[in-house]
Amino acid sequence: MFDAQRPGDTVDQKETKISARNVQVYYGDTHAIKDVNVDIESKSVTAFIGPSGCGKSTFLRCINRMNDTIDICRVQGDILLDGEDIYDKKVDPVQLRAKVGMVFQKPNPFPKSIYDNVAYGPRIHGLARSRADLDVIVEKSLRRGAIWDEVKDRLHAPGTGLSGGQQQRLCIARAVATEPEVLLMDEPCSALDPIATAQVEELIDELRNQYSVVIVTHSMQQAARVSQKTAFFHLGNLVEYGDTSQIFTNPKDERTESYITGRIG
Amino acid sequence: MNDQHIVSAFDRDLEGVQALVMKMGGLVEAAILDASKSLKNRDEELAERVRKADAAIDELEDTINAQCAQLIALRAPTAIDLRLVLTVMKITGNLERIGDYAKNMAKRTSVLVHMTPVEGARGGLRRMAREVQLMLKDVLDAYIQRDAELARDVLERDREIDQMYNALFREFLTFMMEDPRHISPCMHLHFIAKNTERMGDHVTSIAEQVIYLVTGKMPEDDRPKATRYDAE
Repeated sequence: MFDAQRPGDTVDQKETKISARNVQVYYGDTHAIKDVNVDIESKSVTAFIGPSGCGKSTFLRCINRMNDTIDICRVQGDILLDGEDIYDKKVDPVQLRAKVGMVFQKPNPFPKSIYDNVAYGPRIHGLARSRADLDVIVEKSLRRGAIWDEVKDRLHAPGTGLSGGQQQRLCIARAVATEPEVLLMDEPCSALDPIATAQVEELIDELRNQYSVVIVTHSMQQAARVSQKTAFFHLGNLVEYGDTSQIFTNPKDERTESYITGRIG
Repeated sequence: MNDQHIVSAFDRDLEGVQALVMKMGGLVEAAILDASKSLKNRDEELAERVRKADAAIDELEDTINAQCAQLIALRAPTAIDLRLVLTVMKITGNLERIGDYAKNMAKRTSVLVHMTPVEGARGGLRRMAREVQLMLKDVLDAYIQRDAELARDVLERDREIDQMYNALFREFLTFMMEDPRHISPCMHLHFIAKNTERMGDHVTSIAEQVIYLVTGKMPEDDRPKATRYDAE
C-alpha cells in the first residue's frame, strides 16, 4: 500500500518497460481492443481489472504475441518493449516469450517430471552450462515458486501428479526459470487456496524488484494488494489507468467506481 | 454511477450505519439545545436529563464503530464506499465529543444554579450554542445529501463562532474585574463558552469529512483562525 516508499525505489527511477500505442485487436469482425494506449513501468506490478469479456486478457496476450496463434486475430498499433516494436518482422516470437514469460489461469505443466518442467526453458535457451548449473536454477526457481519444500524429495515424479495449487506454483517456477524481464499472469490464483495465493502474491512482490509483472485478476482485493498501477478495462476500452491507491480510494471515472465498488454498471 | 450494489445486503449495511449516524446526530443536537436551555432557565432538572442522555450517545458510538469494523472486514469497501465508512467513523468520533461538551455544559449548569447569577452573560452563550446547533444540523444535511457546497458554507460559519467566543471571553473578563464574587461563576461560564467553541471545531471537522466523502480530497486549510488570546 505504502510500498512506493520502499528503500531503493527512490534511487532507480521507474522507466517505461512496455509502451502500447493505439493498439487495436480484432477477432474476425469483433473489435476486441479499442485504441489502447498505456505505459507499463519496469520493476513494478501492473494489474488489469475489468468484467469478463472486457479485453484485459486479450491485451495481456498481445504483450508476448500469444494472439499470433489465433488465426482470426489481428493486432494493429505498436507495442514497444524497451523501445523496440515486438511485432517487427525481425522479432522471433520464441525469443520474445523467453523475455516475456506467462502464467495461465489453469495450471498446464508439461507431461514430464517436476525437474524437467522447470529445466525445459533454461535448457532450450542455453542458460545452464552444466548439470550442476541446471540443478541450481531448478532449485532456485522452485523456491521462488514457493513449492520447493513440497517437491524437493520427488523432483523426478511427474508434474501432472501434483495438486492444482502445486501445479500452478510449478508453472510459475517454470516461467521464472528463464529469468524473464516481464512476467504476464492471467488470473494466476483463481485455482489456488488462500495460503498458496498469499505465497504467489509474496512471490509477485519479490519479482518486482527485478521484473515488470502484469497481472490480470478478477479479485479486486488481489489487484489492490499486489499492484502499484491498475488499469481498468471495459468493453475493449482502457477506461482508467493510474496508481492503485488512487484507483481504489478515489477513481476518476464513474465506470471504474461502479465496477470496483460492486455496483451494477 | 449506479447507486445500488449488486449485493443488496451491502447497501443495507451502509444505509443502516448511516441511519445510526443520523440518529446520533439528532441526539447530539438535542443535547446542545437542552443544555443551553437549562443554562438559560437555571433548570437543574433538565441539566440532569442532558447528563443522563449522554450514555445513549456513547452507546451509539460503540455500535457504529462495531458496524464499521464489520463492514470493513466483511465487505472490503473501496472508493466511495470506503470513504463513506472512513468518514462515518470520524464523524461519529466528532459527534461523541460534541455530546461530551454538551454534557459538561449541563454539569456546570448544575453548579451555576447554586451561585449568584451573572447578569447579561447567558444570552450570548445561548446564541452561540444555538448557532453551533444550526451548523451541526446543516452539516448533517450536507452529509446525507452529499452536498459539498453546504459543507463549505458551514466551514466558513465557524469563524463567527470563534468571534462570538472572543467577545464572550472579553465580557467575562470585565465581569470578573468588576467584582471578584463573579470569578467563580464566570470561570464556569468561560469553560462553557470555550467548550461551545470547541463544538464548533468538531462541526468544522465533520464538514471537512463531508467534503472528503464527496470529492475524495480534504479541503485546503486556508481558513483564517479568529481565536486570539490577547486579553487587552
